[in-house]
This record gives sequence, C-alpha cells and structure tokens, in this order.
Amino acid sequence: MIETHHLSKVYSRGLYALRDLTLTVNKGEFVFLTGPSGAGKSTLLRLLLRQERPSEGELFVNGQNLATLKRHEIQEYRRGVGFIFQDFKLIRTRTVLENISFVPEVIGVPPAQQRRRAFQVLKWVGLQHRMNAYPLDLSGGEQQRIAIARALVNDPLLLLADEPTGNLDPDLSLEIMNLLREINAGGTTVVVATHDRELIRLVGRRTVTLDQGRIVEVA
Amino acid sequence: MRAFDYAMRQGWASLWRSRGSSTFAIVAIALAMIVLGALLLVTWNVEQLLAQWSSAAEFSVYLRDDATSEQRGAIESLIDQSGVTAGREYVSKGDALTRFRREFAELASLTTGFEDNPFPASVEVRVRSDADADGRAEELVRRLAAAPGVADVRYDREWLARIASGLATIRAAGLALATLMAIAAGVTVATVVRLGLYARREELEIMELVGAPLTFIRGPFIAEGLLQGGLGAVMAVALLGLTYGVVISWWGQDLNALFDGGAVEFLPPRLLAYLVAGGMAVGSAGGFAASRHAG
Repeated sequence: MIETHHLSKVYSRGLYALRDLTLTVNKGEFVFLTGPSGAGKSTLLRLLLRQERPSEGELFVNGQNLATLKRHEIQEYRRGVGFIFQDFKLIRTRTVLENISFVPEVIGVPPAQQRRRAFQVLKWVGLQHRMNAYPLDLSGGEQQRIAIARALVNDPLLLLADEPTGNLDPDLSLEIMNLLREINAGGTTVVVATHDRELIRLVGRRTVTLDQGRIVEVA
Repeated sequence: MRAFDYAMRQGWASLWRSRGSSTFAIVAIALAMIVLGALLLVTWNVEQLLAQWSSAAEFSVYLRDDATSEQRGAIESLIDQSGVTAGREYVSKGDALTRFRREFAELASLTTGFEDNPFPASVEVRVRSDADADGRAEELVRRLAAAPGVADVRYDREWLARIASGLATIRAAGLALATLMAIAAGVTVATVVRLGLYARREELEIMELVGAPLTFIRGPFIAEGLLQGGLGAVMAVALLGLTYGVVISWWGQDLNALFDGGAVEFLPPRLLAYLVAGGMAVGSAGGFAASRHAG
C-alpha cells in the first residue's frame, strides 16, 4: 500500500525532517509511527496526504508516485485517503451531520447520497443522537468520533491519524483506538502517529519508531 | 451543474453572512454602473438624434438668376439619374420670398425695400441615408456645383460631424471614468470576498484535504462576486430609471425641444441587459481575484 525508498524531506537551511526513509506498509495493515517531538512523524503523514512533496527519494501509495502527481491527480488521490487530526478540524458553524456530509458534498456526490452516507457513518461511531449538535457542544471524545466518521464517509483505502488521542484522556483514547482497529478490520490501511507508548502497547500493532527523521526501530 | 449549484448556494449564503461589508461592494458596483448607464443614456439618445438628422439629409442647389429652363432641366435630370436622392422640389424665387416672410415674420420688413426679389430659385434635394453615408451624395454635390446655371450648392454636413466627434470624445471620457470606477468596484468586491474567505478558512482547509475540485473551492467566491455585481447593477438600473422618470416629469418638454421635437427615451432592454451583465462581469472578476487565495 505504502512504499518509501530513501525518502527525505529537507526544509530551509538544510534541516532534514525525514532522512533516507525506506519503509513498506502492506494493504490492510495497522501501523503506528512513534518517536519524540520533531522525529518526523507528522512530516511523513503530510507527505502521505500530499500536502508536501518529498525532497529526495520516492513515495508510492497504491502504486502512485506522489511526487509526480498533478493538481487534479492530487485531488483524486485525496478522495481515497481519510485523515484525523489531534485538533479534530471540525467546522464550528456546521452541525455534526453537516460536518460529515460536507465531504461528499464538496466532491460532487448527489445530495440524497451525501446525507444517507453521512448518517450511516455517524451511526457507526454511535453519535446519531447528536446529529444536530454543533462541534463546540460536544466533548473531546465525541468530536474525535465525528472526525473519524468524516474520515470514513468516502470509504477510504488509507486512513491517516496524527496524534488522534492527543487531547483525550486514557479511557477515551482507548475507545478511539478501538474504533480505528474496527476500521482496520474492515480492510482499510491505518497509519497512526502517536507518542503515547502505553496506547501502542495496549493496541499491540507494528510500530515504526522515528528519531531525527530516521527509522531507529521497527517492532 | 452540481458545482454551479453549490457555488451559487454558498455564494449567496456568504453574501448574506457578510451583508454589512457586501453592501460596500454592491454600492461601489452600482456607482460605476450608474456612471456607465448615464453615459449610455445620453450618448444613445444623441446618437438616435444624429441618425434621425442623417436620415433627413437635404441639400439645396441655388440657381443663377439668369439660368435658362434648359439648364434647370439638365440640373434636375442630373439629380434624378444620380440614384442617390429620395426626392426633389423646385423652389422658385417667389416661393423662397414667401417662405422667408412666413418663417421669419419679424424680419419680413427687411424684404420690402428691394426693387427685385433677392432670393434665388433653388432645387431642394432629399438624400437617401445610404448615399449620405457612403459619400455618393458628396460626389453629386460636386458635380452639381460645376453644372451650368448653378450659383451655389449648400450641403453642410460638417456640424453633424462635429457633434459626432464631440459625442465620441464624451463617450471616451465617460468610458475611461466608468472603467476606472469599475476597476475600483472590482477591487472592493475582491477585498470583501477575501474577508469572507478568511472567515471560511476552516472549510477551505478541509476541502483541500478531502480532494474537493477547484470548481467547488473557488466557485463560491466567484459566485459571491457575481451576485454582488448583479445586485449592484440592478440597483444602478433602478436608480437610473427613477432619475430618468423624475427628470422627464420635470423637464421633459424642454428636453424634447432640445432634441428637435423627438422624445428623450430610456435605455432599451438590450442595453440594460448589457449593463447588468457588465456589473456581473466586474463582480465575478473581483470574486475570481479573491478566489485565487482559496486554493
């Protein structure tokens, strides 16, 4: 699913965020990326979401070389990728259901399908009773479940999560991780960046440890 | 179609959300369109008048007092065979004197002291408008001026050319002013739309991340500009219509007299449609400029 060959990302003044990274993530796999702050976890996720281009090396997702994608190809690629962020990135002025149906709406899905699909995923994360609430009326855990529902609404092949439990207490964190495991069980490849070692231990999946942009351990 | 529908709905919602600042943009567009509309109103009416005068073009062939009837016959034959005239009328010396006394009654006493009638006989010729436009009338005038028995030919089209030239100058100056105002209005629209863009940056970020097409990302901002432009232009048309109505009700008769008895008319629907389309184009351009910051 994901293949990197000698992948590097260099920022200004020659600062390497990732250096010579060679990694393979199989289809349907659940992988943790961990390491201290500045290790390069988020940079790798940004490259995978094609928010940035690699400086050196190659990055393939599902056979597509992300470095060479044109603008419309990037748009198409992103429609197959779900994402979850630590700060949820929900739209405060839209209701829960609108936050989810917003995604199919802006990629041109017919209105009836938008709402049906949004309600399905909302039900799946168990928050259908909050469909008319606004994000700021919800708890952190609920907001992250909405973000997960939004990430799933397009049936992504790949789900990227950047510190998805960073703002949550341990119980809620485990709840979110269980949701991600369920998604993965459905065949979606899941890549989670986290520095929460305890959570990784509890979930028990392949873990890639980064430090100063390099892979230092695969366990 | 879905992108257009989405753009229009979001554009309208954004315009309504920021109705305070949008009002500035709408007023700016309206002012530009009022200047352009007023210019069109004046130039269109003057052009109608010029066209009317051009289509009623005439010239007079003044005959010498000693012109023979054969010479007069030759002159009339030259006129009839030229193919550029719509009709002619012979005015004898006596007819000319009578006409002068009738049309300039206050000066009639000036004509009483003469032993002989001082007015020459003439042939008044009505020119076909196409012949006036393509210069064939001018050619006939030159030939008649050289014909035996002709004292003079008066075909003064210079004043019409001068009015047309003055009108062109007014139109150019007005267009320059309207263009400047339209640019200023476009910049105002762009600024207002861009403010709305910052307010929606959360949505835009999500749209980028989920792979929304550019038409969905930028479309609403262009639509918002288009709506502002359209509303401004409609407002301009309404104000122009109102002003026209007031002016006509107060000074209509004076203006009609100034326009040679013809009625001063409001802009035809075709020009009004162009005006509204122009406003929408200016607004869309402003919205497009702002939308380039969206993604």
